[in-house]
Amino acid sequence: MNTTAASAPRKSRKAWRSFWVGIAFITPNILGFLAFTTIPLVLSLAMAFTNWDLKLQNMFKPDAHIQFVGLANFVHLITQPQFMTYLGNTLYLMMGIPFSIAASLFAAMMLSKDTRAGGGRTYLWLLASAGLLVGCLMLTVVGMGETAMVILLAGLAAVILLGGVLGGPTVYRTLFYLPNFTAGVATLLLWKKLYNPQTGPVNYALSPLLDGLSAAVRPTPPLVFTILAWVLLALMLLVLFLGLKRLSTMWRDGDLGWRAALLPVAVLAVPFVVTAFWSYGRPFLVPLAIGFAAVLVLAGARVWRAGRDFAAAAAEGFGNAIMLAALLMVVEFVCLGLAPVAAHLPAMAAAGLEPPGWLVDIYWAKPALMIMGFWAAVGSNNMLLYLAALTNVPQELYEAADIDGATRFQRFWNVTWPQLAPTTFFIVVMSVIGGLQGGFDAARVMTMGGPAGSTTTLSYFIYTEGFQTGRLGYASAVAWALFILVFIITMFNWRFGNRYVND
Amino acid sequence: MSTIEVMPVPPTAGPLPPVPAADADRPAAKVRAFFRAWGLHLLLAIMAFGLTLPFLWMLLTSLKPLAEVGSDNWLPGSTLNIWQWHWHNYAEVFTTPGIHFTSWYANSLLIASWVTFLQLFTSSLAAFSFARLQWPGRDRVFLLYLATMMLPGLVMMVPNYQIMISLHLVDTFTGLIVPAAFTAFGTFLLRQFMLSIPTSIDEAAEIDGASKWRLYWDIILPLARPGLVALAIFTFIGNYQNIFWPLIMLRSTDKYTLPIGLMYFDSSRGQATQLLMAASAMMVIPLIIVFVVLQKQLVKGIQLGAVKG
Repeated sequence: MNTTAASAPRKSRKAWRSFWVGIAFITPNILGFLAFTTIPLVLSLAMAFTNWDLKLQNMFKPDAHIQFVGLANFVHLITQPQFMTYLGNTLYLMMGIPFSIAASLFAAMMLSKDTRAGGGRTYLWLLASAGLLVGCLMLTVVGMGETAMVILLAGLAAVILLGGVLGGPTVYRTLFYLPNFTAGVATLLLWKKLYNPQTGPVNYALSPLLDGLSAAVRPTPPLVFTILAWVLLALMLLVLFLGLKRLSTMWRDGDLGWRAALLPVAVLAVPFVVTAFWSYGRPFLVPLAIGFAAVLVLAGARVWRAGRDFAAAAAEGFGNAIMLAALLMVVEFVCLGLAPVAAHLPAMAAAGLEPPGWLVDIYWAKPALMIMGFWAAVGSNNMLLYLAALTNVPQELYEAADIDGATRFQRFWNVTWPQLAPTTFFIVVMSVIGGLQGGFDAARVMTMGGPAGSTTTLSYFIYTEGFQTGRLGYASAVAWALFILVFIITMFNWRFGNRYVND
Repeated sequence: MSTIEVMPVPPTAGPLPPVPAADADRPAAKVRAFFRAWGLHLLLAIMAFGLTLPFLWMLLTSLKPLAEVGSDNWLPGSTLNIWQWHWHNYAEVFTTPGIHFTSWYANSLLIASWVTFLQLFTSSLAAFSFARLQWPGRDRVFLLYLATMMLPGLVMMVPNYQIMISLHLVDTFTGLIVPAAFTAFGTFLLRQFMLSIPTSIDEAAEIDGASKWRLYWDIILPLARPGLVALAIFTFIGNYQNIFWPLIMLRSTDKYTLPIGLMYFDSSRGQATQLLMAASAMMVIPLIIVFVVLQKQLVKGIQLGAVKG
């Protein structure tokens, strides 16, 4: 752009013209934006430097004045341990994001198929589900007591099948998207009931399973479980190694630049760093550190020995690499989390295994919310976006892939996934922003941020500070600290992901 | 790699006995296709089942007497005899004093429709500029747009409310519609969709002498239809259900939107969860209609015949 402006006056005139045309198109949006977003933004930034407290300074107390306190809010924020704890909670919950994106993509791919084509035996379905439905209706008239709920659910299943067979993908799409219509609160309340440790169906189903498990564990020698724990840790190292191997292959083939490789490698190492700060991880720390170093050396040697076949630009290939690293990181965390469980299993089984308390348990509340998020992702807005993007993949590309004899996975990896890149970029950016600002509804409706603050995310913290205790100045400061964090991460996404998408 | 040399010739696939091979293959292929259709249906039905449960719970709760609302038995009156269910809860929503259900319904639909229309217009214009036009500083301006999404909306409520006071827009529909009509989210979403349209179309249009406005209105907008439809669905649903901003802005009862009005059922004045659920169930109906109508457009796909020739 600069060169065109400098080279010739005619060209610079053209650049100016295109500038004004570009501006003209964004004018309607930007005018509203200035009024209703930019001004509040600036005002809230100003608030972050004040001691505005709704209890002290409000319209009923005209004498009290809001004072500027400089950086006091931010100093308070850093010196208090709360902020870091709640930031940790937020990041913990964000580990579900890769799985949620995968779930919505999977659902979208299922829904983009025409269920009415193929087989040609839909009448069998019709018959079966109609029979089921009639049976349910008859039982309804009789009025069953104990098994009534089962019958009702079977009836629902029959109706869904019947609708799916008759109406095809439209019915399934509508049913999948149904949770979005019910305004969130009803869904959250229901999940709270499901998770109830005493009366909820989740634990009702889990307790016989756990009884069976502890009966099986008790006669087994404890050594087996010690070995199992170490196998899990070895698995964690293996995942690290495979991730590094894949990254180094991408690097060698010229699909990944060195600058773009930095963060994925760091992400893969995160679970090992966390182990050092985790009380249950301590016993494993030394062997794990040795293994970690060994894997690093091994992977480094591999990179060193193989050299590069093709050179890549420094920032290339970040999108794929970070997705891979994020997914593997969660797998590593799962291994790491299961290892102490395996080690302590004999002792726990001797006492009798109890199903977790879910939302009332400090350790289980966050996983419970993550499972719920996974469930919600199946029928989410992201699913809808993927659905729209999938239909825009040119059919010729699939035909070309079929001619080349591509397997189903190759078709997905070489045709579908690259074609979805702009949508995936949007979804990743919005998920990261949404994740850092998220957890508010679940905390407000289901847990009140508890137990012991274990589900309090930053957004819920802002809410309690600003709207419950009334300290608007401090809430603004927290929000702006969060803003800086989101901004840095999004810049990262933008700088690497956008280039990857647009080239 | 070396599979071609190693791979044995399948005995039935030889050129010698073509007819029996086809006969042997056909039932197997049929069975496979049958199970594929079966399996897909089953998978979709299981997933749909899991996703429908909250809705079912809402419907069943809406048919309970008040005393049973908190119970863990999903069935109203613990029975499947539908004649004992409290269907009159639905009629009661309309007759409860203080509840102007129909006018709140109309308000909600009006506001959500207007916001959707305005937002599609402003967002698509801006997205067109960010995705299809070249101008200096474009990506930097876009990043500023993006940045505004990164501040939690909660802290902007108070300053926004003060702006509304100074514009005398408190307790008006305009005050609900206008601030929601300009979003970075919609612009970003549509920009990403417009980026996926091949640039050869723009060049072809330019050669034909089409102005930028023609390019936007006649070419890009129709091609970005799936994105527009997706944004329309999100915006309509989001604003139809919006609770925080209307709660701050609205004073007079006749201007309430449904989510605000329905809070009455869950307040100290009257705890009537079964009526809340009945009203919520009725509130969902327009959303289902909007979705069913629009989702067909969503999966229609772009017709790129224009460039392929």
